[in-house]
Amino acid sequence: MTCHELSEMFELYALGVVEAEEREEIEAHLARGCDSCNAALAKALAINAGIFSLVYQKTPRRRVKRRMMQAIGVHYPGWGWVWALGGALALAVAIWLGVQERQRTTELAEARRTLLEVRGERDRLTAALRFLSDPQTVPASFGKGQTAPPRGYVFLHPQMGVLLIASNLPPAGAGKTYEMWVIPKGGTPRPAGLFQSEGAGAVHILNGPLDLDTVGTVAVTIEPAAGSAAPTMPIIIAAPVGT
Amino acid sequence: MLILKLLPLGLAYGILQVALHVTGDGDLARRLKARDSKAMAELYDRYGRLTYSLILRIVRNASTAEDLMQETFLRVWNRVQSFDAEKGALGAWVLTVARNRAIDHLRSVDGRMQAGAIDLDHLENPRRFSTIDTSALSIDRVRRLKSAFEKLTPQQRQVIELAYYEGMSQTEMADRLQQPLGTVKTWTRSALQILRSELAGVAIA
Repeated sequence: MTCHELSEMFELYALGVVEAEEREEIEAHLARGCDSCNAALAKALAINAGIFSLVYQKTPRRRVKRRMMQAIGVHYPGWGWVWALGGALALAVAIWLGVQERQRTTELAEARRTLLEVRGERDRLTAALRFLSDPQTVPASFGKGQTAPPRGYVFLHPQMGVLLIASNLPPAGAGKTYEMWVIPKGGTPRPAGLFQSEGAGAVHILNGPLDLDTVGTVAVTIEPAAGSAAPTMPIIIAAPVGT
Repeated sequence: MLILKLLPLGLAYGILQVALHVTGDGDLARRLKARDSKAMAELYDRYGRLTYSLILRIVRNASTAEDLMQETFLRVWNRVQSFDAEKGALGAWVLTVARNRAIDHLRSVDGRMQAGAIDLDHLENPRRFSTIDTSALSIDRVRRLKSAFEKLTPQQRQVIELAYYEGMSQTEMADRLQQPLGTVKTWTRSALQILRSELAGVAIA
């Protein structure tokens, strides 16, 4: 074939799609250093590259570049750090929300406890008022014969029991509590409930029916926190009944 | 930028991206030869989109195209020492390597490698690209090629696509199209003449 005939096939030769016989002839010719054919081959390569560039273009995923850079031994951060930062922020927000939730739960529990205490106090005062307003309630003497006695009142009711309203109580002390006693005439003291003071005052009710004729004295002592089966001395309040 | 209006948006964007950089390919090639890894990242930014698109056009599978793209750039990185940084057309070489990797893949999948297909390795020798005009991928040339491509008949266009994007010989095309070999050769020759004549007014070294 002539140089012109060969050059007509250079694009296909450069693409590797000519038949074996044609390829051998082209390569043998080029090996002889034919300038015009080498120039024609350069033009064919340029045309081929131009045709390659006519494809509709699409963008590869970002990770391809990262993989390529890593393949040549270069650490390429890509966008992984964004995900790491996002994850760290999400974790921080989750921890913060958890702390907030725990704090809110604690505050809520504290508020419930306070509410229960207030309700308990209200109920106790309501019961004391009902106790005091009933016509069957009788008073007992309070602090008679004591030096700097606690001040207050003891009331008894045949159905509602005993109401104690006291102030100026001496401090119970650590690990101690006040205990009320109902002492029958000529009998042994019966425990009538434990109570704490608020400041130096207290309101305490022993609920239940009571035979007023048999009660001799209502007394208060300071006892261990769990209470006692029998009063220990000294008695800080002694209110004789019916004197 | 008037000529860009004549081209589809995706093609125009890619051409513009490449054209803005072709004049700096010599410096980029020198840095690649000096094993500058930043130059490799720059090469990817410059030709990665076009390379991926070409491979994807041939293999028609995004995951395979990504793998072959990585293989292409690694091959360029490993063989750039033989490339003539002063006179070579870096983009044309990269695209040729990419096209050959994709065709090699197609041939291995189709079993055509065993049928005596031509080894493409020596056809992408970087020394071959030292005499190509560095403006091989300029906007003007690509516009002319695009215009010439539109002048081809459907048969001419089909044989060009089978040769460029499927790596078929004319005998294989004749089998595929169930046409006489002589007819296929005529379509191919006339198509290439149209493309060449369209570029004739553009200086090529």
